[in-house]
Amino acid sequence: MKNLHSAYGQEPPRLGVGLLQCLIFGLFCLFAVRLWYLQIHLGQVFTEKSRNNQLRTEYIFAPRGFLRDRNGELLAVNEPAFVLGLVREDCDDIPATLSKVSEWTGIPADRLKDIYTRNKPKVKPFEALTLAPDLDFDQIAMIEGGSLRWPGVEILSRTRRKYIYGHLLSHVLGYVAEANEAEMQADPTLSLGDFVGKQGLENRLDDRLRGTKGRRLIEVDVSGRRLSEELQREPKAGEEVFLSIDLGLQQLGHKVLEGKAGSVVVMDPDSGEIHALVSEPTYDSNTFTTGLSSAQWAELRDNPMHPLQNRATQGVYPPGSVFKLLMAADALHEKAIDTSETVQCTGELALGNHVFRCWKRGGHGSVNFQRALVESCDVYFYKLGMKLGVDRISAYAKLAGLGVPTGIDLPHEKAGLIPSREWKQKRFGVRWTKGEDLNLAIGQGYTGTTPLQIARLVAALINGGKVLKPQLMRGIAPEVQSTMPLAPEHAAMIKRAMVATVEDPHGTCRRVLTPGVVVGAKTGTAQVVRLTDELKRMGDNVPYKYRDHAWMAGFGEKDGRRFVVVAMVEHGLHGASGAGPAVKAMLDALFLGKKELPPRDVAGAERPAEPAARVVVDAVEPQFPDVPHEPETVR
Amino acid sequence: MSPIDRRMLYHVNWPLVGLLTTLFFVGVLNLYSASGVRLGEGVSVEPYYQKQIIWGTIGLFGMVAFMSFDYRRLSSVAWPLYTVTLLLLLAVPFLGKTIYGARRWLDFGLFSFQPSELAKFSVLLLGARILSTEPERLNLKRLAYILGLGLVPTLMVIKQPDLGTGMLVLLLLGGLVLYRGIRPWLFRTLCVLVPLLLPLGWFGLKDYQKRRILAFLDPATDPLGSGYHILQSEIAMGSGRIFGKGFMAGTQSQLRFLPEKHTDFAVAVLGEEWGFFGMMILLSLFCAFLYQIAMVARDAKDPFGSYLAAGVFFYFFWQVLINMGMVLGLMPVVGVPLPFISYGGSATLVNFSLLGLVLNVSMRRFLFKQN
Repeated sequence: MKNLHSAYGQEPPRLGVGLLQCLIFGLFCLFAVRLWYLQIHLGQVFTEKSRNNQLRTEYIFAPRGFLRDRNGELLAVNEPAFVLGLVREDCDDIPATLSKVSEWTGIPADRLKDIYTRNKPKVKPFEALTLAPDLDFDQIAMIEGGSLRWPGVEILSRTRRKYIYGHLLSHVLGYVAEANEAEMQADPTLSLGDFVGKQGLENRLDDRLRGTKGRRLIEVDVSGRRLSEELQREPKAGEEVFLSIDLGLQQLGHKVLEGKAGSVVVMDPDSGEIHALVSEPTYDSNTFTTGLSSAQWAELRDNPMHPLQNRATQGVYPPGSVFKLLMAADALHEKAIDTSETVQCTGELALGNHVFRCWKRGGHGSVNFQRALVESCDVYFYKLGMKLGVDRISAYAKLAGLGVPTGIDLPHEKAGLIPSREWKQKRFGVRWTKGEDLNLAIGQGYTGTTPLQIARLVAALINGGKVLKPQLMRGIAPEVQSTMPLAPEHAAMIKRAMVATVEDPHGTCRRVLTPGVVVGAKTGTAQVVRLTDELKRMGDNVPYKYRDHAWMAGFGEKDGRRFVVVAMVEHGLHGASGAGPAVKAMLDALFLGKKELPPRDVAGAERPAEPAARVVVDAVEPQFPDVPHEPETVR
Repeated sequence: MSPIDRRMLYHVNWPLVGLLTTLFFVGVLNLYSASGVRLGEGVSVEPYYQKQIIWGTIGLFGMVAFMSFDYRRLSSVAWPLYTVTLLLLLAVPFLGKTIYGARRWLDFGLFSFQPSELAKFSVLLLGARILSTEPERLNLKRLAYILGLGLVPTLMVIKQPDLGTGMLVLLLLGGLVLYRGIRPWLFRTLCVLVPLLLPLGWFGLKDYQKRRILAFLDPATDPLGSGYHILQSEIAMGSGRIFGKGFMAGTQSQLRFLPEKHTDFAVAVLGEEWGFFGMMILLSLFCAFLYQIAMVARDAKDPFGSYLAAGVFFYFFWQVLINMGMVLGLMPVVGVPLPFISYGGSATLVNFSLLGLVLNVSMRRFLFKQN
């Protein structure tokens, strides 16, 4: 044996065999340790990673809750809509497909391209990208016919919000629109194409209406194709909400204001429920759900009549003589007057080198508390203003809920303004003057209120001083926000004066007299600009934008039911003739069941209408806030 | 002496044959699962495992063929075969067909053929022939001569480009040289010099090869590019944990997150589905298999046979080390398959044939007694 090896010149390399054995041993140890490290030590981590690889969560739409009026009448529902989607992974020629879609839908090709590039990064693999939001049946038929030749094109059914009375309730209901990026960031359950409430109750009640999305766990392969799915949570439909609004009353309010700009508010003074909240002119909520075109949006935004503004909560106007109700209550509370004591009204009051005029040129003669309210004597209230002073008036007005938001469940409400010494100093750097006390006393000057605030004030006057949160939903427990100090006998006095304002032959509100119903009211005429002599001479023919705003705030009572009705008509000239018909129509509907309007312009100017006292230091333009709307979905 | 007789049959290394068979069928079983792709419903299995069985059968013939003659005759064909290999490698750039961007194949109509596979064999043969007649441990001159002979085909293979096979050829020869032994001072010098010279190789690498190395050093930098393979293979391995997800139940492979799952990364499928337990069995099988070959090298009755067996040992050893090292994230991604586990037609044929050579050496270890 040995010889044989030596014949080849060498022994078998013993060291070499040892080397082979060492290598095997090393190989075993190296991989055994590594396998232990990966599979046992880090096994948990990698198991987690492999799960994340293959499982995706998908959300299932939950139907949005319906909205109904107080009688159960449907106001907002969901209806099926058909949209055209494109699954990019299935489409082999995107530019050609886009131009075909343009041909089908009539949407310009470059706009489609824009939609496509904008949404491309937001769409998950194998998820359809929405190209056209709303297809009619002819288009669907045409597309279905051709879709075989255009892979990737899909018609998807979605639900869309439908406002049955699009124009009637747009300021109350608001609208929904597709969620924007910020909203999607804030809420991870939102995905592209989801609708969220943007305005009105839709916005405020979004959480309740939206419901809870369902969730599905989907197993996907490496290219994102789904293999299996497992339902983890059923979608929960949004809540159905009953509003306090009475659809019929709301309809009537819009009809009576047709062609004008203004607002009507009907409120239950005991519960705070709002039965009508009208703002004219208006817009159609439905235009927002399909996405506005830029032209549509520009038209709404630039319309000089500001249809997007909810005048009941966002329109801030000087209350004019309606403010005298608050002055009366304050004076009684402060015991600043003896109600039987009379004041001599000569038609004007001189203070320093300024002359403050009463609206009635010749003066009212001798007036007591009640007559001053009934005939709206300015001189009486000038004197009251001097006596009370701005500090007491503004403190009391705050308690009565003026100058503070009412807290109604609508976004972007305005607080209005009740001026004070500190406010003026801060705002203009100038001291408050005595003359401004007089302006404040008759609701002019800096004072600004919304129609809803006035409705709440009148409600507080007749319910014993409770300043309520206006409720837009039915059956919610009344919420007292503040209490204005008002003794029952004082409240009764004011109420009596308001009733007399309607019933007295000299009253300014005779036109709202309603048989069988106890009606009380107060007019107001708010000056928009200080009229020049030239404009004055034109009388009722002054240009529209210089005309006074007309107010009427009243209440009606019958068989234990009572309602507050406030109407405000922009540039309506005179309180009674401008705002009166609206109040009358509401009262007729509420108490007499009349849902029809009386023929227009009944010759019933029993009394010379009360113009605004021309004493204002500076004109107060109606304040239009920055329109809080935002066209998220301009297409 | 007849080429094969009953006594030789009696001396066949049955433990090695058993290990080979076990490994092959573990591989086929794993391929069955690795070819599965889950679609909407059910699993569709691509027929890789069937092809592997067919190649295994062909390989069996190759094995028997390599057992049927006296291996000592190979000594005389070592040089001619080496020359033919060089000629074929030279022809590849001109006549070869391109697959996956690399020109490695010669098309002979009925079948295509990779001269680089032949290069492994002819270098093994030539190395065994030369080294078995070296009277002493190698000095620098002999070492340079032998490595130079290996380097020529190696560089030609790397140029194709096929870094994996090229490296394998050189490593195989290097292993054989170490098996023979070199002068201690030379060994010590090389131990210092090689790690110093290795970084120079960086400049010879192609961009995609550099990216793979960078991705290996830090897979997280590019999880969807070069680092993806490493990351996904580690996820597959790691998520198998102790007992694995079960046969045909590996999500990484069935949902196609694992790349190259029936070829280079096939063992990751096994790791995912059979876990640490299964991997330890596989590792033990490979170690036992290598040990058997090492024993054949030790017991061979002439140096040439011993070197042949050692060459085959290194051939398998390096592939196991490189492939599993890559799958386990210990090495950069290099296209080296795992013997018997990865799918591959010509590789299976070569594996079986080389094992036939080892069995040839093994069963003839007693023959010389009679002479």
